[in-house]
Amino acid sequence: MAHDPGFWMLQALNALQLSMLLFLLSIGLTVIFGLMHFVNLAHGSLYALGAYFGASAAAVGGFWLGFFVAPVAVAGVGVLLYSGLIRRMRKSGPMAQVLVTFGLIFALLDLTRLFWGDLALAIQVPQILAGRTALLGIEYPTYRLFIIGLGLSIFAALAFVLSRTQIGAMIRAGVDNDAMAACLGINVERLFFIVFCVGCALAGLAGVVAAPLLSVTPDMGLQILIPTLIVIVIGGLGSLKGAVAGSLIFGFVQTFGAVLAPQLASVLIYALLAAVLVIKPVGLFPAKG
Amino acid sequence: MFRHNALRYAVLVVLLAAALFQAFTAEYFGLEILTEILILAILVLALDIVAGFGGMVSLCHGALMGVGAYAYALLSAKAGIAPPLAMAGAVALTGVTAWAIGAICSRSHGIYFIMATLAFGQMAYSYVFEALVFGGDDGLGGIARLDLGLFGIDLNDSRSFALFCLAALGAVYGAAVLILRSGLGRSLSGVMHNEQRMRALGLTVWRVKADVFGLSGMIAGLAGALAAQHIMYISPGLLSWTVSGEALVVVILGGLGTLVGPLVGAAAFVVLKHELSGLTSYWHLVVGVILIAVVMSRANGIFGWIEARWGDRIERRVADATRKPEPEEATSDA
Repeated sequence: MAHDPGFWMLQALNALQLSMLLFLLSIGLTVIFGLMHFVNLAHGSLYALGAYFGASAAAVGGFWLGFFVAPVAVAGVGVLLYSGLIRRMRKSGPMAQVLVTFGLIFALLDLTRLFWGDLALAIQVPQILAGRTALLGIEYPTYRLFIIGLGLSIFAALAFVLSRTQIGAMIRAGVDNDAMAACLGINVERLFFIVFCVGCALAGLAGVVAAPLLSVTPDMGLQILIPTLIVIVIGGLGSLKGAVAGSLIFGFVQTFGAVLAPQLASVLIYALLAAVLVIKPVGLFPAKG
Repeated sequence: MFRHNALRYAVLVVLLAAALFQAFTAEYFGLEILTEILILAILVLALDIVAGFGGMVSLCHGALMGVGAYAYALLSAKAGIAPPLAMAGAVALTGVTAWAIGAICSRSHGIYFIMATLAFGQMAYSYVFEALVFGGDDGLGGIARLDLGLFGIDLNDSRSFALFCLAALGAVYGAAVLILRSGLGRSLSGVMHNEQRMRALGLTVWRVKADVFGLSGMIAGLAGALAAQHIMYISPGLLSWTVSGEALVVVILGGLGTLVGPLVGAAAFVVLKHELSGLTSYWHLVVGVILIAVVMSRANGIFGWIEARWGDRIERRVADATRKPEPEEATSDA
């Protein structure tokens, strides 16, 4: 088994698929933090909401309806959260933000239970993505390849927007120095709002995309939250590069750790995080020096 | 520095009276709830010391409590060490663990400190969850309570155990006040308000933080050893980060940095939880909404709000009368 290149290939693809899922979640969280210095612990709950919206829409009109409805619906929730809570918490310290969003986790957890019940839901993978695809001498589930492709294309799109467009330049300016950006006539507040909604939409997308792999349960948001936080802290808060690096590190350490040292796998990633925090307290690729 | 005022004394007296009344009149279920409150109160005192007086918002105190619980269970049930020694061992071990975590995290601030402590807490959680020595996700059972037969007390009786926990809470409260009034406690509050200046004054900042974190960890370890004896069964769920989060919620709902407030918060939280879970299975929703409302109102929790509103007035009235605070007056306000 260990000498079979196909086996390692399979594990590498698994790791990549996990990384891409985490990337979709962490990029929103990290840019929101970089731009707004806002810690949104409820990001995982938005992911769970995305899965639920997706599952409901998919039950009516199939997977692709859910795929498009979930990000839009979660962005809608994001608009509500922003105007109701987040805008007022902008100037508070990190602890108040952590607590409010912790309260939000509680509230959203029970709201999903209230609307959708405690039973796990499932989404059927569409015909075109079902089955397996032959790739470099191994057979790999097509749907997982789809996730990898989706993550890579979102990454490419975000990298393009952030580095090549005007709004990207405005966001980078805002992350770097929001007061100066505001002085230069950038409406930083509106920028925050847009970034927050896009982050929510990506969380919703991650939710609906993950739903066919995992079952949709109310606590799925809590389970994904810690890995997402680890990703953004390892990568450094606020940067695209950090989110990518953190996701890849997490995905590969987790997957290969489970193969090579099953007993240590779960501790390994936390030990890595602790090591990063000790050596570089602001993460590997922080948005500002 | 931590100071008692008339309001704080009054609330302490009321809380003590309520606990004693409950301990002597309640039936089995009421005593179980009382014990739960008392153990949670010990944990949140530990958290309030670091978070309220040192600005170190820790998300690993639940895990530290778990370390104490597992250390007690292993030492007493598996290694066969006498329960009192096992308890001391558990407290010491948790203190050392916490000291190390505090020393490593002392360089981080704000959100990074929160994340770093979260990482250590989760590390302990997943280790315990996987390790076979600790019974994995099945947990450990058959944990014995302390034997105080020497003094004619049987702790297997829930009333005696509740009173035992109350005594422990009293001792911890006294210790917390002593810590905060000591040189170490004063240095800590200096570090919280201006770390640079304290460093310039020649203070070894990381040592102060680590020492206080270690002491706080010992208290959390005591809470853990008591929790293990209370339920007589432990599972990795005890170390989960949501436990730490809930402890932080209790500290905030009660009033950060007041010591008395978190006690009020612990009682309110446990009672609310049991009352609400009897009424609806969606009690998390209610707690979440209350938490958001309290934090958004910018008041320092329930007790902090009362203190900000009436604390001065009561203090003045006490000063006018120059002698004898009127607890009845104060409590009707509270």
